Amino acid sequence: MIEVISGGRWTTIQDRGRPGRERFGIPPGGFADWFAAAVANRLVGNHRDAALLECTASGPSLRFDSDGMVAVTGAHAAGEDGWITRVMTRGSALAIGAIGAGLRTYVAVRGGIEVPIVLGSRSYCQRGAFGGGFGRPLAQGDRLTVGALIDGEPLATAWPADHRLPMGSPWEVRVIGGPHADAFDGFALQRLTAVACRVTPELDRMGVRLDTPSLRLRGDEITTVPMSAGAIQVTSAGQLIVGLADHPTTGGYPVIATVITADLPLLAQARPGDTVRFREVDLTEAERARRRLTDWLDPDG
Amino acid sequence: MLSLDRALKDRRLQGLIGTVTAYGSLLCHYDPAVTSADRLQEVIREFEGRPSTSFPLAPIVDVPTLYDGPDLADVAMATNLPPAQVIDRHADREYLVYCVGFAPGFTYCGELPPELAVPRKASPRRSVPAGSVAIAGRQTGIYAVESPGGWNLIGRTDLRLFDPAADPPARFKPGDRLRFVPVL
Repeated sequence: MIEVISGGRWTTIQDRGRPGRERFGIPPGGFADWFAAAVANRLVGNHRDAALLECTASGPSLRFDSDGMVAVTGAHAAGEDGWITRVMTRGSALAIGAIGAGLRTYVAVRGGIEVPIVLGSRSYCQRGAFGGGFGRPLAQGDRLTVGALIDGEPLATAWPADHRLPMGSPWEVRVIGGPHADAFDGFALQRLTAVACRVTPELDRMGVRLDTPSLRLRGDEITTVPMSAGAIQVTSAGQLIVGLADHPTTGGYPVIATVITADLPLLAQARPGDTVRFREVDLTEAERARRRLTDWLDPDG
Repeated sequence: MLSLDRALKDRRLQGLIGTVTAYGSLLCHYDPAVTSADRLQEVIREFEGRPSTSFPLAPIVDVPTLYDGPDLADVAMATNLPPAQVIDRHADREYLVYCVGFAPGFTYCGELPPELAVPRKASPRRSVPAGSVAIAGRQTGIYAVESPGGWNLIGRTDLRLFDPAADPPARFKPGDRLRFVPVL
């Protein structure tokens, strides 16, 4: 067992989520920075479906009741070097502390965090307040059970630095155009990719709002349409709303462009006040970029 | 859309993780390691121009509704109708479910009679209780879980619209029919 000494700012249990249930209004959920989380599981030799801890802004302090192994990845944590396995002895504590640059740090425990599966996943769903074991973020006094979702030996060395994503502002984020490009004038996307967008304090696992001070872009409300993660809606006030893992499954503003899967981790790590620059690519490049990351995770796959 | 959605489901396409329909749109989530956008588009084009299959009408589900919403008076004012008339006109018809989305189980229905069409609230509420029955434009909807929301709240129902332990977890799906039944 692992005892939660302090929960941190907002720490939730996440796995790969529950995609395929959007038709019930259920967001796909799962790790916001899917790449860093997958690396954490890989480092400790977990199955890729293992659940881990997603820490936001500041992380938890944990005490181990038995021997174990952890890996910390994602945004830099004050209390931990990260991207390498660490052996925890019985009675020892792990303190993640303040987080940054970046916003979200992942803590994988060898075997995974064992909580009941709800709608196909162990992930906490904020909007539905279910899953993640407690139906809420971690709190002091919670006790976590270590599971047995092991898939191989832990990695003996640190995760190579050249196989990590950039961690810090400005964030260069690739998008593919549309699907509602025709709701805007012909040069709207070129104009969007030419300016620096600023991350507002309005962000959570559902999405990130960005201001584009120098850009006069307006989206008029449209009939409700399905939304995917990465969809960039333009509100009538000209703000951008980019969906993350727990995004609402439908929306009412036109989508000027969609962030590619490979770059969703970057947006998941952006902090209020950070700068985001979008760059347009085609579907071929989007799929190549994703493949590059999945190859790093699983060179044999 | 519903017809295309069912046809795609029946094909059991490799790599198609799920589809979502809403009004006139259909979204395909796919695994690019297994299939491609081109391949899916090819399949969808096969249905282009084909008459849609008709389905037997779903039975009408009664939604017992207590019309005591915090926006009922404002809606009455905006529509120039006494509150009792707002209730009568809202309850006096069958609605088609166009979409379940936004938040878990949220049920979008239409169409509202034109005289009840009022815009969304200028500033959305931070928290709307689960079970709230609401209207906006020509739509009426039911909040299945507590969430923020900008629609006008005219009533509430005890009917449970979302249950993560149930299969399916949402009470309604696109194509279903329902009617609001006033309760005291």
